[in-house]
Amino acid sequence: MKKWIPIKLIVPILLILVLYIVAIIIEQKELAIDLNQKNTAPSLTHLFGTDWLGRDMLIRTWQGLSVSLTIGIVTAFCSTIIALLMAVVAGANKKFDRIVRWMIDLFLSLPHLVTLLLITFTLGGGVKGLMIGLIVTHWTSLARVLRVEVFQLNNSEFIQASRQFGKNYIWIVWHHFLPHLYPQIIIGAILIFPHAILHEAAVTFLGFGLSTDQPAIGIILSESMSYLSAGYWWLAFFPGLFLLSITLTFQYMGKQVHRVMERNDRYDSGVNN
Amino acid sequence: MKLRLILLASIFTIVACSNQNIDSSSNEKIETDSLTLAVGKEPESGFDPITGWGRYGSPLFQSTLLKLDEDLSYENDLITSYHISRDGLTWTLELREDAKFSDGERLNADDVIFTFEQAQLSQSIVDVTNVDEIEKQSDFSLKIKLKTPQATFLYLLATLGIVPEHAYNDRYQDYPVGTGPYKMVEWKKGEQLIVEENPHYYGKKPSFKKLTFLFLEEDQAFAAAKAGQVDVASVPITYNNQTIDGMKLLSLESVDNRGVILPFLDEGNETAEGIPAGHVVTSNLAIRKAMNLAVDREELVDGVLEGQGTPAYSSVDKLPWWNEDTRIKDDNQELAQEILTSDGWEKNEQGYFEKDELEAGFTLYYPSGDQLRQSLSIVFAEQMQHFGINVVTEGKSWNELENLIFSNPVMMGWGSHDPTELYNLYHSDIKGIDWYNSNLYQNELVDNYLENAMHAKSEEAVNQALKNAQFNGETGLSAKGDASWVWLVNVNHLYFVHEDLKIGEQKIQPHGHGWPVTDFITEWKLKTNE
Repeated sequence: MKKWIPIKLIVPILLILVLYIVAIIIEQKELAIDLNQKNTAPSLTHLFGTDWLGRDMLIRTWQGLSVSLTIGIVTAFCSTIIALLMAVVAGANKKFDRIVRWMIDLFLSLPHLVTLLLITFTLGGGVKGLMIGLIVTHWTSLARVLRVEVFQLNNSEFIQASRQFGKNYIWIVWHHFLPHLYPQIIIGAILIFPHAILHEAAVTFLGFGLSTDQPAIGIILSESMSYLSAGYWWLAFFPGLFLLSITLTFQYMGKQVHRVMERNDRYDSGVNN
Repeated sequence: MKLRLILLASIFTIVACSNQNIDSSSNEKIETDSLTLAVGKEPESGFDPITGWGRYGSPLFQSTLLKLDEDLSYENDLITSYHISRDGLTWTLELREDAKFSDGERLNADDVIFTFEQAQLSQSIVDVTNVDEIEKQSDFSLKIKLKTPQATFLYLLATLGIVPEHAYNDRYQDYPVGTGPYKMVEWKKGEQLIVEENPHYYGKKPSFKKLTFLFLEEDQAFAAAKAGQVDVASVPITYNNQTIDGMKLLSLESVDNRGVILPFLDEGNETAEGIPAGHVVTSNLAIRKAMNLAVDREELVDGVLEGQGTPAYSSVDKLPWWNEDTRIKDDNQELAQEILTSDGWEKNEQGYFEKDELEAGFTLYYPSGDQLRQSLSIVFAEQMQHFGINVVTEGKSWNELENLIFSNPVMMGWGSHDPTELYNLYHSDIKGIDWYNSNLYQNELVDNYLENAMHAKSEEAVNQALKNAQFNGETGLSAKGDASWVWLVNVNHLYFVHEDLKIGEQKIQPHGHGWPVTDFITEWKLKTNE
């Protein structure tokens, strides 16, 4: 039973890892102000150009991405845990299920960005407010998927049998649910990631998220707004492109993971037959 | 995949195009009797002088008793003469008899009295608390009695637009009626204001019969100017190297200043409301003086303002009551270091000054979203780091700054034609009211000078007392004395103006970019008309 990971999956993972490690290294470095090098267009010395204080845009963008990635990872992790907990609670009995369903419907019925804005704003913005906002709003879709899975498992014969043997719900969750759910959990977590990053940038762009001295992509983009009509397109273009690429890379990675897991399933079942 | 490539390519092209001059239609001939302007935001509280309209720029719809000319001296407007009694308490005003409101009614003393009464009732921005009583002498003459002598009352007379008693109601701010050069045609809130010539205006007829004000954001104003849709557009200083065909870029000097306010008291103090006040480092006089000397204001002007500004040495640079002795030679690190050394500060291993295990340093706050103040803060902090004071910057919302300002340095800005502002910024009675004197500065001598200025009987006496308050040869509120601020720069105001339009000499511009340019709008004319 040979399980191999295809190159299509390795490339995006490596890409993001390298990006993140470089970002962490760069973050230690002070962003130098050079008033003689203000607003220069992209060149070999400054690949992404410089801003109105002569700071290198490549370094700023990279630092911004590191903030975004960190927020994305924490959000994806915490949201997934909330989603899993919700699904498991829903599977426990009918009453809990109704409550969980009601909560999922509540969050899904409100426009995502608006809820996020409200929560972030009431918590006073900043990294903490933004993270809590993101975590609280991003668990719903995954929770809905997991809830259905748990529901199906609950009705399957081996779970019924397990129950007949007197195993309690926690034991069943640990020994039966988790092994069955983990593909969904991993894919779900990866797919929350791009959402979280984009929403972080959006909220920050609107001025409710991270504070202006943090090097975040949303900040860079909103700052560049007042320079766009002056013709300094590189201030927005490259950071925007970078953000887009990261998002798409994660999306792609999610897809590849999905395919690998599906294929392994198929492979396993083929062998068993 | 191909589709994606095409998409990407088209994005590139669009971006590349926007970099060039798309539009050349702005060369179009200016319409001879109407103008379109994009000069700043809509006045939030409408066009009622009682609630502050007309403090900056022309009140358009109303006119004032006096007016300020380009050199900030007073000229008669609605009055033909005024007389101040010898004790400075009784002001007799003679009104002109040919002034009519835009609805045709004649203006008389009752309207002036009514205006003052309204200002008293509403307790608004217009400060008339010193007015004791107003007496009507005849239809066109009145006497105003003050509680204390106040030569700065002139400024009030020059900014308070007179409202009509017969047409003043709840909706006045939306439908203003006045004796000014223009009357309202239409106000689409959030979009535009259209005004046309007031046929009853007593003064010289303006050359432009119709004005349209567009309420645009600054970058939209620039885009509109580029498309040839506006004749006058106010733009931020970041646009100073842009050109628009058929328009010239005017850069007006200002007292629109920015500086760092330094908490004056030591840590552990409180405001009257119990908010923590004071800072352990900035309460040290040597530190405040050293920062004033070490900072390189020229670099800030060239680097951050792109040359569109002047170094600021006080909050009143180039105003008639500015004491020119407050100008200091900055970028003088040796002298700054000397001052610190003689006060017992020494550089530690990190390169920062230290005294009794206290490191010289603080967090400098700026309002987030204000890019100019952010840039100034960042560069100022870097200069101080270089000098040996550990300054770090952080952006906060105005709401948060409201409390932080008492115990932390903040990048602030002021600048007004009203001499009272200096009093408000530095007098110990005003501690922390409406952002005034938020560093809780106090100096008995300065207080005395400022009080003298407010109760002086003549303009000259006001100016002299204010000059003494700044620096009297020994001490004062300026960088040579208590140095409770580090004033940094005055920011020029930039306007793109149609090249055929002449707007004449302007006053030195106050805080607030936009409306002040309309000060002399009745005198604007086309070059070709000469």
